[in-house]
Amino acid sequence: MPGVGLPPLEQNLPPVVLRNYGKWVEHEELRPGVLKHVAEGGEECYTVRAGMPTNARVSTALARRIADVADEFAGGHLRLTRRHSLELVGVDPARIDELIGRLRELGLPVGGTGRTFRNTVSCTGWIHCQFAATDAPAVAKAISDELYEDFLKERYPAKLKISISGCVNQCGEGSTADIGIIGIHRDLPRVIDEEVARCEIPLIVSVCPTGAIKPKPPKSVQVDPERCIHCVACAAQCQGMLIGDPETDGLAIVVGGKAGNSGNGPAFARFVIPYLPNNPPRWPEVVEAVKRIVEAWVAGARRDERIGDWIARIGWDKFFQKAGLPVGDKLLDGYVLWPMSARTGVRFHW
Amino acid sequence: MLMVQLACPKCGFVIEQYRADQLETDAQKQKRYQYLRKKQTLCPSCLSQTAKLEERRLEVEAPPEAGLLAEAPLEVSAAEGPAPTPLCDELERGPWPSHVTELKQTRYHLQMYEEGLRQKKTQWGFGGYTSIPGVASGILMRKSARPDIAQGANLVRAFCPSGTFYSTKTLRALCDVADRHGYGILHLHATTCDIEVLGVPKEELKATVDELVAAGLDVGSTGDAYRNCQECIGPARCEMVLVDSVAMRQAYFTRFLDDVQFPRFPHKIKFKLSGCPNDCTRSQQKGDLAIVGVFRDPPRIDEAKLDAWVKRGGDMTHIARMCPARAMEWAGRRLTIDAEACVRCMYCINKCPALRPGGDRGVAVLAGGKMRGKYGPLQPFVIAPFVPAIPPDFKEVFDLCAKITDVYDEHARRKERLGDFIYRIGIDEFCRLVGVPTTPQQMAAPRVNPFYHWTPAELHRRGAAPPSEPPPEGCAGQARARSGELHAGRAEAE
Repeated sequence: MPGVGLPPLEQNLPPVVLRNYGKWVEHEELRPGVLKHVAEGGEECYTVRAGMPTNARVSTALARRIADVADEFAGGHLRLTRRHSLELVGVDPARIDELIGRLRELGLPVGGTGRTFRNTVSCTGWIHCQFAATDAPAVAKAISDELYEDFLKERYPAKLKISISGCVNQCGEGSTADIGIIGIHRDLPRVIDEEVARCEIPLIVSVCPTGAIKPKPPKSVQVDPERCIHCVACAAQCQGMLIGDPETDGLAIVVGGKAGNSGNGPAFARFVIPYLPNNPPRWPEVVEAVKRIVEAWVAGARRDERIGDWIARIGWDKFFQKAGLPVGDKLLDGYVLWPMSARTGVRFHW
Repeated sequence: MLMVQLACPKCGFVIEQYRADQLETDAQKQKRYQYLRKKQTLCPSCLSQTAKLEERRLEVEAPPEAGLLAEAPLEVSAAEGPAPTPLCDELERGPWPSHVTELKQTRYHLQMYEEGLRQKKTQWGFGGYTSIPGVASGILMRKSARPDIAQGANLVRAFCPSGTFYSTKTLRALCDVADRHGYGILHLHATTCDIEVLGVPKEELKATVDELVAAGLDVGSTGDAYRNCQECIGPARCEMVLVDSVAMRQAYFTRFLDDVQFPRFPHKIKFKLSGCPNDCTRSQQKGDLAIVGVFRDPPRIDEAKLDAWVKRGGDMTHIARMCPARAMEWAGRRLTIDAEACVRCMYCINKCPALRPGGDRGVAVLAGGKMRGKYGPLQPFVIAPFVPAIPPDFKEVFDLCAKITDVYDEHARRKERLGDFIYRIGIDEFCRLVGVPTTPQQMAAPRVNPFYHWTPAELHRRGAAPPSEPPPEGCAGQARARSGELHAGRAEAE
């Protein structure tokens, strides 16, 4: 039965961590994927970080093989990071190369620390979701393959995080990342009257952010095409509201999000490409666009400037020029909080 | 004894039941009961959506056994021999480890995914969070839109251990559960650091939950509840950390476990803890409640260490130039930090080991972050810029969080995220309701428009009743009274 809460820390923390809990002094990155932390007493702790399969999907077969490696090299403990990379903590420094080889045998590349491309975060997409307008795991895989070398070597001015969400619910956190990809629906929800009759109609009406849904007597609703913003809220509340159309669904690209307070501070990413079509299995247009943005950033940014910080310095006007991206009216905001992204003042970059 | 049951009106499946006396005395149970009565529910047995659960009262000898209706297994075995999956195979190409390779090693119906890629459309149907007797949170059920391939798949969600460290024993136990009851595929992790075990037939949900709990992985984190609390690695292996985020997560689950496992709020509440302003958990973007470690005095400079670091090739000129607040001066020998300009952003501390955070440490509490909801992505707003974080129970911090969610529970509309609620009523009104004192750190800048509210009590009309009269009815009045109490309490404490 549930209700026991979390296990005590000692059950899962490795001994080196328990010994030096809260006593760490400094760390350095020995090479991409290998970290050295030093504690007060001088004890050193070596960590090896590896990329994991896209969408953090791990078969039990792979998980058991990882557990074997962790038993052999890291005293039976392992860690998963906030971006779902694998970390083996407390590795014997003499055996790091051997460990990297073993992880390679499992297909897991070692890297993703410092100024590199980091493990992608994506939602479950078409693997197991009813809303996804695009298949986030496949897009993540295509982009990860393209930027694979940059995961292994430090080539960037700062770290690069890429997140992919299959729809505007953003379980895959598109808006938080340096480059985010967000699946978007463009058609209206289709109303199945007999299913809607069994749902709570006032709730469907009230969750609609723009008031586009109105009751349709006797027991159904209708959608105002002028007002619908394709936000999926109604589809989540009732099985009679269907959304998703293979012809018109696609994805958008956002740029410049980050959470840390250094540089320009925490910010959400902004839309730079309002729509690209779905092109499974490899989404070449998306990969091409991401590469183009990354290369413009690598060429233009100062050291330690993440994409958002770089754009804050040069301005969005200059960004579109440097990345060679077209600008259209879909990039101008017209929703509730639109004045936050409209320009006032005439301090332009030309 | 008299039992109160809430059941699906279509198939009669009992979703939850209470002892009548328990329902009269236990406030938590009442809230949960009211919540279930008001909201539409996905029946875990027949998967139909019902606007109103049926209430039954019946006299029973002992609590009836909780169990799911026996039914034919959910899964339908695929046709003989694996069907070709050319599009999926294409996704196995390339150097990065592929999710398709993983899916192929399990009992997941790969044709569902292949068809999705071929038709450019998901093949899964309606689903949602549901509860079964004894397990109010932690289960998601989803129908298939292609019953000819697969019948649908349910998942069980469990909390990761703190620090997201696993002993291999825990991981192997998790694999055993996934192999025994699910497809054999794990989500390590879903984006809020929950573990998901996919493909559990509905008859085995209860057993899966019990086995996960036995392995030390309690379930939950679905529905309109406090969700899994995501924390940074903290003191486990980080020298930047300002407060013990890992211990704080343990304390969170000790204090709020009922709120986590029994959904009863207007919408979900995502809880993120970051030990320092580097914010590794992205709390300042995703957290309905975000707790971020902060320090108030300026960064400390270790002169000897700085000399050694510069001699080893450290580039202080670059760091001083890139300081976001332009608070650093470095003339090649002596480093000074302008304490008034410094915004405590951690940039220089991250880059140079001779600089360390100051010692006056606590947490900032922010509320209202989210990625969607009515008004789209919103970053959380600062509610209290500095709250002392005192282990082991972090009472001050969690008291404030509980107060914030109480206000939210009381005043928000259904399916309105905390951020949307604050946006609707205004940060001024929200802070009055919560009863936090206003500080300059709460605002990016003071307001521009002159359109504010005054209550009659604030006007002090000549001849009017003195302000000690009972406060006027309505939120604003009550809030003012409450905030008055708080101010008074604070003054006494000081």
